[in-house]
Amino acid sequence: MSQILLVDDDKEFTDVASNIIEFLGHDVEVANCLEEAYNCIEFQRFDHILLDFMLPDGSALHLIDKLNTHDKVPFVTLITGHPSVKSIIAGMCGPNVNYLVKPLQREDLEQVLSGKSKARKKAKSSAITKHFDCLVGESAAMQELYQMIERVGKTNANVMLMGESGVGKEVVAHAIHTASNVEGPLVATNCGALSRELIGSELFGHEKGSFTGAVGRKIGVFEQAQNGTLFLDEITEMPLEMQPNLLRVLESKRVTRVGAVKDTSVDCRVISATNRTVEEIAQSKVLREDIYFRLAVFPITIPPLRERLADIPLLATAFIEQLNAENETNFEWQNAQLDQLKAYGWPGNIRELRHAIHRAFIMSDPTSNKITLPKNFESPFAKNQMTSNQVTAGQTIDDVEKELIRVTLEKVEGNKTLAAEMLGISTKTLYNRLNAWENQAQG
Amino acid sequence: MQPTQDVQSPTTNSLIHDVRNPLNRISMQAEMVKLVLENDMPREKAIAALDKILMACQDSSAALQKLAEHARTDETS
Repeated sequence: MSQILLVDDDKEFTDVASNIIEFLGHDVEVANCLEEAYNCIEFQRFDHILLDFMLPDGSALHLIDKLNTHDKVPFVTLITGHPSVKSIIAGMCGPNVNYLVKPLQREDLEQVLSGKSKARKKAKSSAITKHFDCLVGESAAMQELYQMIERVGKTNANVMLMGESGVGKEVVAHAIHTASNVEGPLVATNCGALSRELIGSELFGHEKGSFTGAVGRKIGVFEQAQNGTLFLDEITEMPLEMQPNLLRVLESKRVTRVGAVKDTSVDCRVISATNRTVEEIAQSKVLREDIYFRLAVFPITIPPLRERLADIPLLATAFIEQLNAENETNFEWQNAQLDQLKAYGWPGNIRELRHAIHRAFIMSDPTSNKITLPKNFESPFAKNQMTSNQVTAGQTIDDVEKELIRVTLEKVEGNKTLAAEMLGISTKTLYNRLNAWENQAQG
Repeated sequence: MQPTQDVQSPTTNSLIHDVRNPLNRISMQAEMVKLVLENDMPREKAIAALDKILMACQDSSAALQKLAEHARTDETS
């Protein structure tokens, strides 16, 4: 039995659809506008949301944005009767989003509501090991990371995760939470996404009537994560003036809701994350020193994907297996394609790899099991990152050589003979370098 | 696949949307009637659903009328 939220402004439709969904054996809550849906997701967890695309007070995208800040994002089925948005919706679909076009039938509902459990069953038969139920990779860098997660999981120390954008900081936070074996939940919030006015209320909660718009009492994320883990993403984007309040909670383990007289005891591990390096944090003064030492009792730097190229085939296989399970397809990688994926530098890290694989999946012919990879993976965002990634003092010759070989291989789409020619070395030397780095990465 | 619909004018799209909503109600209420009959549920439920189907048919007819008028205006302009 799944918990379903049905969001549609057509009351007659929600009445009859909720009857049918209950008959199919699920629990269903109904919201007739976005505001009602926000209230529902704030106080209840749902496995699946059936969501009308156009609502009187906004579009489905607003709710999806809100859901993405949750630690466990439910499966979303968008419902539309609007032909012009059908193509837009189709473009948004991914592993957790699909769509239905009105008029609906009971079969449609049965299919989308059972699809998720089918996908889960298939995912279990995967040959890929998921460390802590979520992390994929067997390279030396990842083994080191697993060891750190295992060790810190047994303590209650606060952890700061550092790493480039897209390396999977939230996934590592999940892994630490799993390794901790704590009773409470993992609650995630993005400090960069909250306005200055609302951040206090989001973190510490508020009492009814404490400010204009505070129509009811709100429990802050610290209290929600009681006996569990609180994940504060983009911690360095938190306004400086709010940081003393955070420090007080970290030191005293007591939180005072906005407008409250008494404080409440809180007990949770805080995992924070930033894509800045320690040096940048110190130089740019975006985080107070005292807060840094409270949050980064155990700092962990997550390696970028280019430093664990050997994991790319495993990640690519895990992603395609997941897509296969969710879409009932049987796509398989060919060795040459995995080599092509390994030859690219992935400046956007795992997020970019996942996006590229998803795009290739959509482009591939569903009647065959062959995946159609694009000729190159470069994105405008990746270019920006690469141009800023120039040679700097302090880099080793080995690092610069590695980078040069990487960008050359990218330029020639992985053609090693051509790359060797451009670099002015023999193909044999190029192979020797690549093999050496691969062995290094595998430990 | 209905590629031609995606390039219709915003008004036409909106009118098509207005036709689909009552059709959606008809479809779901018909499913409800099937459920009642297949599972020996109280016949009042089936009658209520059938009444709603009849009302939604009227709504569909009105929405189609608006669509037809819009098409006629388009042809003459």
